[in-house]
Amino acid sequence: MCGIVGYTGRRDAAPVLLGGLKRLEYRGYDSFGIATVGSAIEVYKKAGRIPDGDPGAVGLVGCTGIGHTRWATHGEPNEINAHPHMDCEGKIAVVHNGVIENYAELKRHLQERGHTFRSETDTEVIAHLIEEKYDGDLLAAVNAVLPLLQGSYAILVIAGDTQRIVAARDASPLVLGIGDDEVFAASDMTPLLEYTERVIFLDDGDVADLTPGRYTIYHGGREVERPIELIDWCFEDTRKGGFPHYMLKEIYEQPQSFYETIRAGIDEHVRRMVMEADEITLVACGTSYHTALVFKYLAESLCGIPVRVEMGSEFKYFTPPLRGLVIAVSQSGETADTIAALKMAKARNCPTLAITNMQGSTVTRIADETLLMRAGPEIGVAATKSYMAQLAALMEILNIRCDGEFDDALSHAHLAIGDVLLLDIQDAVDLCSKVEHVFFVGRGPFYPVAMEGALKMKEISYVHAEGYAAGELKHGPFALLTPETPVVAICTPGPTYGVMASNIKEIKARRAPVIAVGVAGDIELPEIVDIFIPIPNTHLLVQVLTASVVLQLLAYHTACALNRDVDKPRNLAKSVTVE
Amino acid sequence: MQAVILAAGEGSRLRPLTRSKPKALLPVANRPVIDYVIDALLENGIREIVVVVGYRKEEVIRHLNSLNVPLRVVVQERQLGTGDALRAAEPEIGGDFLVLPGDNYINAGSIARIKSMRNAMLVAEHPNPSNFGVVVIRNGIVREMVEKPEDAPTFTVSTGIYSFTPEIFSYLQTNEIPDAVAAMIAAGRQIRAIPADDWQDAVYPWDLLKLNTRMLRGIQPGVAGTVDASVVRRGVVRIGKGTTVGPNTVIYGPVSIGSNCNIGPNTVIMPDTSIGDRVVLEPFTYVADSIIMSDVTVGSHSRILSAVFGQGCILADHITTTPSPGLIEVGDRVQREEFGAILGEGVWAAPFTTFKNCIVGNNVSIIKGRTLAGRIEDGTRVM
Repeated sequence: MCGIVGYTGRRDAAPVLLGGLKRLEYRGYDSFGIATVGSAIEVYKKAGRIPDGDPGAVGLVGCTGIGHTRWATHGEPNEINAHPHMDCEGKIAVVHNGVIENYAELKRHLQERGHTFRSETDTEVIAHLIEEKYDGDLLAAVNAVLPLLQGSYAILVIAGDTQRIVAARDASPLVLGIGDDEVFAASDMTPLLEYTERVIFLDDGDVADLTPGRYTIYHGGREVERPIELIDWCFEDTRKGGFPHYMLKEIYEQPQSFYETIRAGIDEHVRRMVMEADEITLVACGTSYHTALVFKYLAESLCGIPVRVEMGSEFKYFTPPLRGLVIAVSQSGETADTIAALKMAKARNCPTLAITNMQGSTVTRIADETLLMRAGPEIGVAATKSYMAQLAALMEILNIRCDGEFDDALSHAHLAIGDVLLLDIQDAVDLCSKVEHVFFVGRGPFYPVAMEGALKMKEISYVHAEGYAAGELKHGPFALLTPETPVVAICTPGPTYGVMASNIKEIKARRAPVIAVGVAGDIELPEIVDIFIPIPNTHLLVQVLTASVVLQLLAYHTACALNRDVDKPRNLAKSVTVE
Repeated sequence: MQAVILAAGEGSRLRPLTRSKPKALLPVANRPVIDYVIDALLENGIREIVVVVGYRKEEVIRHLNSLNVPLRVVVQERQLGTGDALRAAEPEIGGDFLVLPGDNYINAGSIARIKSMRNAMLVAEHPNPSNFGVVVIRNGIVREMVEKPEDAPTFTVSTGIYSFTPEIFSYLQTNEIPDAVAAMIAAGRQIRAIPADDWQDAVYPWDLLKLNTRMLRGIQPGVAGTVDASVVRRGVVRIGKGTTVGPNTVIYGPVSIGSNCNIGPNTVIMPDTSIGDRVVLEPFTYVADSIIMSDVTVGSHSRILSAVFGQGCILADHITTTPSPGLIEVGDRVQREEFGAILGEGVWAAPFTTFKNCIVGNNVSIIKGRTLAGRIEDGTRVM
């Protein structure tokens, strides 16, 4: 769950590495470090965020180097535990993303043989192991060490006496960027976009030998060819521009994110897969789990297909009996739990489909087919536009199953999403930023929307929030209602309108303030609630989208009012690549 | 040299078209007005550009980010006036600089005339000076500025484009730039008046059509989409990526069509028409002298003349817009204007609706086809 980056070429490596780490900061931001090959290996590490143009780091000399930004797994986040890690003599430096499961045992052996360890990390063992094997051929040394490692890794290794990087991956992501007489390596393609559009996605088990003018990839000891893919994301998309936060920028990109995903459509293989499924199981984590739940409600009621939604982290250990199509939903395509679940589905001969934002990511390699969402790079840790693009992809599947019944609603949905971005929700923000607890309630597809609203609220504003199916509130949580616990209720016309309205009255009777998200033109609801937020009166599918955007805005502005670090909430990282 | 582009104001006289974007972002010849201003600066080698944003700033910032031009953005929190907007940019200013409104067209030649001057303003002749700041000039030096006078002493108006030294900030006592200029004149400073080479403003929605016609003269031809072999094209025509033009469609330029549109078959698009992205024009529809913004659908057998359609309007079949001279209330005055229809965003119209010199607010629904004239307020349901 860390980010790694490497560079070898003609430029000074340090600024390239630091710039790259900044783009990878979403993967972890406890501490960072870089190492370059000057006359010997030079290292700079620091606890905390990456500052702009850190003078200490930029001063490192050399045109080959590696860098790391950390989300602590083994050992607390401080300067000593920050990567890169070195061997005893400072001739080898390693950065690593993943977890070495047998590191304690390896460490004990190494210590017995006289190696001195400086940090508490699992990574340091790799440096010492390579030290033992290194005799001037870095590639051979890395190859000799890899069989000893159990667990997951993407590593980059440099040695003080050679202008090269040796890269290896197994179950952690690693991408190469190919420039003119320069080669880049990184955990994902965002750091590369500034320099090149040609990338190579490495496979598990690949080892790459990188020098400024040349890259060679080996698999199982034999040289292999991996295709160069062209990336159509542009570097501009990874800049914040004039927005105060990436999250706000990405919230405003949602109409486009939805529209582009719908317009990209679904290819024939996926279409057939969807049409043939008599049962669908979705596996997802976090925000993706909520989009999967929305799909369940909509698909079961609108096209009558049984849908099951499983959390990736549970599925792996408590696997349900599987039948029919299995869909893995993951923005990054690297979510460890989702990947494990997908592998199990494959092992049981289920047709598998991956819905992801990352071309070339691990899930796309495992699943039979991929449906790519067109959100573009999402940098903010809290998912917004990728949530929207996931819903677009899932609604498109729904639309296929219903013979295009929702064509019209989906092709105009981006306008309604754009419309709610114009709303002024200051009253609701004032209310939520003064309290410690907020409840979110909804029924049907708006229940997962409420859960997602609560997730956004807690992850970026740190206000305790819970999402409930409106009817469940009375079975316990009602005891917590006070005048200081606002309830956000989503209540739109439909079969549940009446019962939602009476739920709201019950909440009001406990003197809890109610913020209602309803449709414009509703005359009854504004009378009974404290704050009414109107969304356009559109198709149910579109209401799900617009209500979600309102809750995102509420969480965002509440977090801003409370001065939270919106793009880098504490303790979190964007893609959870460890179990 | 630096330049400050003021793009924070809504441009409320252009309502209902400014619901989701400020005037600086309204498209003429399929490009937001502010793009022409930025082009004119870049052509003059002025690359240090600061843009002041405010009203619907997220939309403006998103657009600016898409331009791939190094711009600095500053935010004016409340839209108090041009002087206040300039004050927001003050921390970014390090020497002599230009100030330009982001919502008027200006050409590069005009900027070349003023960029080397210290303390100067570009002026222009305008037939309706009462909508602008009127400038009294003697021997090339500004004597006096009168803001939007009832009876204008001359036809010379301020374009809002100035060349200043950082000294201006000490005269900026109110929230308006003209007050600061008046204070400079009162203090004995000389402000030179330089005639602009080409400057155009759209004050009211119907002025956009004239500006559109003017800017379409400058478009480059280019066809990217899928155009059927039987389509007849004459004059300069631009068609964006992903757009499909069906059989037997006739397009007489200058016409600019955006990306991912669906036109025809058997549709006629006549000169001076701009069509945004994702627009659908159904068969047997005729469009001339109009601006159709993105995500609009116009049903079959429609006749669209001198119309501006805001984003996301859904119009059924047999829609007619008829230009006829009519009296339009603007502020507390009445003005004689001729245009077919100005539709705000998200207007929905039933089959057989006829608009005659009609200004329709945002999100108006016309439930039953009928003839409409005059002004219809936002959100109205017309039965």
